[in-house]
Amino acid sequence: MKRSIYMLLAGIAILSSACGHKTNSADLINKKASLPPSFQFEALGLKVMSSSINKKRGTMSTLYANELGLKNAIAGLKNHPAGEVFALVTWKQQDDDHWFGAKIPGDLSSVELVKTTAIVNHTVISYKKIEGKDLVANPDTLHQQDRIKYIFEQQPSVMP
Amino acid sequence: MRKLVNQTSKRNYFILVIVLIIAFSGIQFIHPEIKNSPATGDFEAPADVKAIIIRACYDCHSNQTNLRWYDKVAPIYWQVAQHVKDGRAGLNFSTWKNLAPADQKAKLWEAVNQISAGAMPVKDYVLVHSSAKVSANDLVVLKKYMADMVVNKPADTAKINALDKQYQHWQKGKVAAGKLPTALNSVTYIPDYKNWQPISTTERFDNGTMRVIFGNDVATKAIKENHINPWPNGTIFAKVAWDQLADKDGEVHTGAFKQIEYMIKDDQKYKTTKGWGFARFKTPKLVPYGTDVMFARECVSCHKPLADEDFVFTQPLKHQ
Ligand code: HEC
Ligand code: HEC
Repeated sequence: MKRSIYMLLAGIAILSSACGHKTNSADLINKKASLPPSFQFEALGLKVMSSSINKKRGTMSTLYANELGLKNAIAGLKNHPAGEVFALVTWKQQDDDHWFGAKIPGDLSSVELVKTTAIVNHTVISYKKIEGKDLVANPDTLHQQDRIKYIFEQQPSVMP
Repeated sequence: MRKLVNQTSKRNYFILVIVLIIAFSGIQFIHPEIKNSPATGDFEAPADVKAIIIRACYDCHSNQTNLRWYDKVAPIYWQVAQHVKDGRAGLNFSTWKNLAPADQKAKLWEAVNQISAGAMPVKDYVLVHSSAKVSANDLVVLKKYMADMVVNKPADTAKINALDKQYQHWQKGKVAAGKLPTALNSVTYIPDYKNWQPISTTERFDNGTMRVIFGNDVATKAIKENHINPWPNGTIFAKVAWDQLADKDGEVHTGAFKQIEYMIKDDQKYKTTKGWGFARFKTPKLVPYGTDVMFARECVSCHKPLADEDFVFTQPLKHQ
């Protein structure tokens, strides 16, 4: 008798499992990794150039470049003429709650912007770092040259 | 008069019971066979891990199916037989050693994830076979076993050389002329993904790769408007995977390109694969994956625990 009750329950379970309920759309957006609207990232018109991870710091980054920056990087051009734009976006990593075995972007940590501009007849390289979820400017100028060098050294990821 | 009605209804009831008994006995003869052939390459793992897998999974995912008497009664039996047939087809622990080591690892991560997502063992089976339940503690044991298998070491020269070779070729911009590669379900490689927005990135420490997931303009618009469950028709995802190339300081860059995968949303055209057209193209030569059109079953079955989220793993971020 107990068995048949179980079987009946199982039958009900089969029927009821057919109608799961959908997760709310807004809850599926990775909000803490999103860029703040005020930053207007899309207006920069950048493409993905490469991706990297820092296991010691537990961060992951995507390097973006504009058309010219990407083209020159793929060509291996080292002189960086005016008109290039690079943006290195870095996140703290978090465990992927959908896949044990993966890490995904968590809190937005920083955006580093490098631009080359022509002033009179030479090229100026500018660097700006903005930090935190609201992307506030970091006034520290100490490591600027190192960071520009680092970003210029990145090899584009193979994307056939 | 009343007595008479009572008597006829009693008789009708009696006849009904007889008919049901006959029908019930009759269907017992419809008995698809479940064969228990010998295990040719049984799964091996530490005793505590193996015990959990045997208890919770072997009835459907091995040649050692152990049916209780109540499993053998039709019509229950028919469902059990189907489960065993489908279960063994996707994953069979009795022929485990026939899989290449990398495939064994991938299957095991998939298995633990199916348990973690509550998709396995099959729910109605657990209701009847309570001993098959995987407890929270069991899951900790399994996850620890998997996590201990992860190796973190700087990339070897083979990996570095593989990238260099690919890179030189790619840098020259040699694009294969002619027709774009097409998968067996007619989904074609889309070169334009490079101009799409990335919607997330992942470090996959289960298999030593890293990925960027791109979304086309339909996808990014849907993200902006918070309309991503279900994703609108016309949504396309492209997921690119590379080897991880770690240096000794723990800084990891993309190594050789492994593959690109697409999911194209069209709830009519791709009805049989949950509304998504799946395709995978491997190596820079973009070789379509799969030996027949059923290859997408594999994609669906691993994405299935996310049925309530339109079969999509990625939680996209906004670029605004
Ligand atoms: C009652 C039978 C049953 C039990 C018990 C069961 N499974 Fe399954 N499993 C199935 C069936 C049927 C499928 C294929 C259909 C599907 O995906 O739902 C499947 C599919 C899978 C797949 C996908 C295989 C593929 O096609 O790539 C994995 C992984 C899996 N099961 C893991 C497990 C693990 C791990 C356990 C034990 C914790 C388990 N299953 C217990 C019936 C079962
Ligand atoms: C073993 C499990 C597994 C199998 C099999 C699998 N996927 Fe996925 N897929 C994932 C995971 C996990 C993600 C989340 C991103 C990541 O971490 O790589 C994902 C993400 C994706 C995405 C990005 C959209 C999303 O759902 O997040 C695409 C596109 C995709 N897979 C295509 C495919 C195709 C095509 C196949 C079959 C040829 C396939 N997948 C088979 C596990 C799987």
